[in-house]
Amino acid sequence: MWQRRAFLQAAGAGFAASLLPRQALALDASELVFASAVQTANGSYGAVLLGEAGELIASIALPDRGHDVTISRAAGRGVVFARQPGTFAVVFDPAGNAAPVTLTSSAGRHFFGHGVFSPDGRLLYATESDFEAARGVVGIYDATDGYRRMGEFPTYGTGPHEMLLMPDGVSLVVANGGIETHPDYGRAELNIETMDPSVVFIDRRDGTLLGQLRLAAGLHQLSIRHMAIDARSRVWFGCQYKGAPSESPQLVGHASMDGEIALIELPAETLVDLRNYVGSVAASTDGATIAISSPQGDLLVVIDAAAGRPRLVQTLRSGCGLAADGDGFVASSGLGEMIGLAGAKRTPQRYDFQFDNHLLRVG
Amino acid sequence: MRALLTIATMVLGAGVAQGQMPEQTAWAPVTPKAVLAAAVAEVIRPNILQLDEASGGLDRAMEALCAMPSADSLAIASDQFGQVVRAYGAIAFLRLGPLLEDNRADRLLFWPDRRSIGLKQVQAILATEDASATELASLQGKSVAVQGLGALEFVLFGTGAEALSAEEGAFRCRYGQTIAANIAAMAGELTHDWYRPDGIASHLQTPQPDYSDYRTETEALEALVGLVSHGLEALRDKHLLAFMARDNAAARPKLAVFWRSDLTMAYARANIKDMRKLVAASGVARAVSEKQQGLENTIDFEFRNAIRALDLITLPVAAAVADDKQAAALSYLVLVTGSLQSIIGEQLSAALGLSVGFSALDGD
Repeated sequence: MWQRRAFLQAAGAGFAASLLPRQALALDASELVFASAVQTANGSYGAVLLGEAGELIASIALPDRGHDVTISRAAGRGVVFARQPGTFAVVFDPAGNAAPVTLTSSAGRHFFGHGVFSPDGRLLYATESDFEAARGVVGIYDATDGYRRMGEFPTYGTGPHEMLLMPDGVSLVVANGGIETHPDYGRAELNIETMDPSVVFIDRRDGTLLGQLRLAAGLHQLSIRHMAIDARSRVWFGCQYKGAPSESPQLVGHASMDGEIALIELPAETLVDLRNYVGSVAASTDGATIAISSPQGDLLVVIDAAAGRPRLVQTLRSGCGLAADGDGFVASSGLGEMIGLAGAKRTPQRYDFQFDNHLLRVG
Repeated sequence: MRALLTIATMVLGAGVAQGQMPEQTAWAPVTPKAVLAAAVAEVIRPNILQLDEASGGLDRAMEALCAMPSADSLAIASDQFGQVVRAYGAIAFLRLGPLLEDNRADRLLFWPDRRSIGLKQVQAILATEDASATELASLQGKSVAVQGLGALEFVLFGTGAEALSAEEGAFRCRYGQTIAANIAAMAGELTHDWYRPDGIASHLQTPQPDYSDYRTETEALEALVGLVSHGLEALRDKHLLAFMARDNAAARPKLAVFWRSDLTMAYARANIKDMRKLVAASGVARAVSEKQQGLENTIDFEFRNAIRALDLITLPVAAAVADDKQAAALSYLVLVTGSLQSIIGEQLSAALGLSVGFSALDGD
């Protein structure tokens, strides 16, 4: 199903031209396993689809820098979202039977780089900004009707970032980073003094707020950004601290639909090396371990989810992308490396493109 | 690139488009250690000291204005304000360590103020004669938007500022004096932090694996290059594009920083001039392999283009955006800062073996 046979013909000349004959052979022989936004060697932006052994299966040209990718088997489509405050999302067919289609955010909205499909693949949800009102929204797109924007509901906060579908298939969890931005001012952060981050659970059927969780008031400059769900349906989150650089607050925690939210205690030396920044969070295949990354600190940390304690720390220059891989994880870097982590049997590889912040394992 | 050259020709004349390159000098590579040492010694510390001295002068000028209000003492205070704005423009891009502690960057200049929150808060303080805004400690506990340069600009140049030259402006003056004292206090703290033994300066110059801020020379160089790359982005996004005409929208000069005091372009000039100085004096573009030696000239060439564009913008910003040639110079300035950001954030970073500009340092 995830073989990408006709991708070569369908995806356009720019993409086809990027494939060498040997890679075209790989296209026929392997299965799509990983996807990531990238910057190519010539400075242009795109997304790559990789096979199990890390071989390049296909690449998709993007008009500007992308961020995260989501793929739905049911929809037979993947989507690369523009990095905030971008206004495009590119829908592609991993099977290669249809040419990529570029969506544009509606007037007064921009994307935040993340989104998810409904379990049946009929709806696509994207985190977006209603930037005049400094209000986060979830844009709803009809995947059965050319990704027509059907409407939106609020994220009940400002600066929503990653959004995941909970295992119940109905609830969305959104990390409201709490930071106000406006396209008139690029990526400038406009409300660092008064930011108000939260984790929210939303019923995707009608946008009802199921629960909103905040950390202690003294941690209001701890922007909650990225998440993964463990075996107990707890949402692990990683934060970026926007307060004084001399402070090192805890950066990783978990929240649940039962209303619990807590930070775990990482050792002081690990926190210092994370540089007040977590760029990506992933859960292992069995949901028993969580990996987090800090490209600013060149650090990867694997955490035992049940114990809430780190099991492993490893360095990777500019390492950020994380995905489950075998018994462990695979990590990708802004310098074009891909390595195995915490028991994953994988030979380190180096590419001529640079991975963006997130690496998706196609389920 | 073609569009950039076309505008360059239109704005700056054929000389630039034909590429009047700076004189070639003998290439000699500089070590990272020397780059970091020079950045601190020749640019960062002197610029911080300059802000300290200018804000001390502003503090005294405001004190004199309040003690003996007159048109002359108001003129002196206003002039001193301009010196502080220029001095702040020369350090605003040093967004690491001390400037980010205690919300200092926002407390010194809360900008952009998209919804005029600061303006409304300052007007409320003036309208109610809120005495707590005239005590340093209580002012420091208030919103960041009422305690820095933006607030003081309104006090000195906003509606009703003429009262400052007479007794009727006593409260307004005391509030302004307290803001000036706050700015001077922060400048003093910045100076203290940058001169403290075993502080950020020594950590940046001589990184050690057990330091919590800079563990390696590579990390310190990334920070240094990131300052310029991000500084150029901030200048363009926060201080230029925000008020210029775009697409179908007319220019909005009142969204320019320091438009009331006509210091918008003076601030931008200080910003550009001292980012150039940081690159040139540190020699960071010479810490590359011989084959990359052309980068230094390329970067300085673009900085000089930016300064030449600034030279053409002589009118107050409201008039500049309505003048074809000066508006074109502003557009060119936007293009050239983008070009510089790309050369420094991507090409120079790559030449230095850094990862600035992609997943590592510009976050998401």
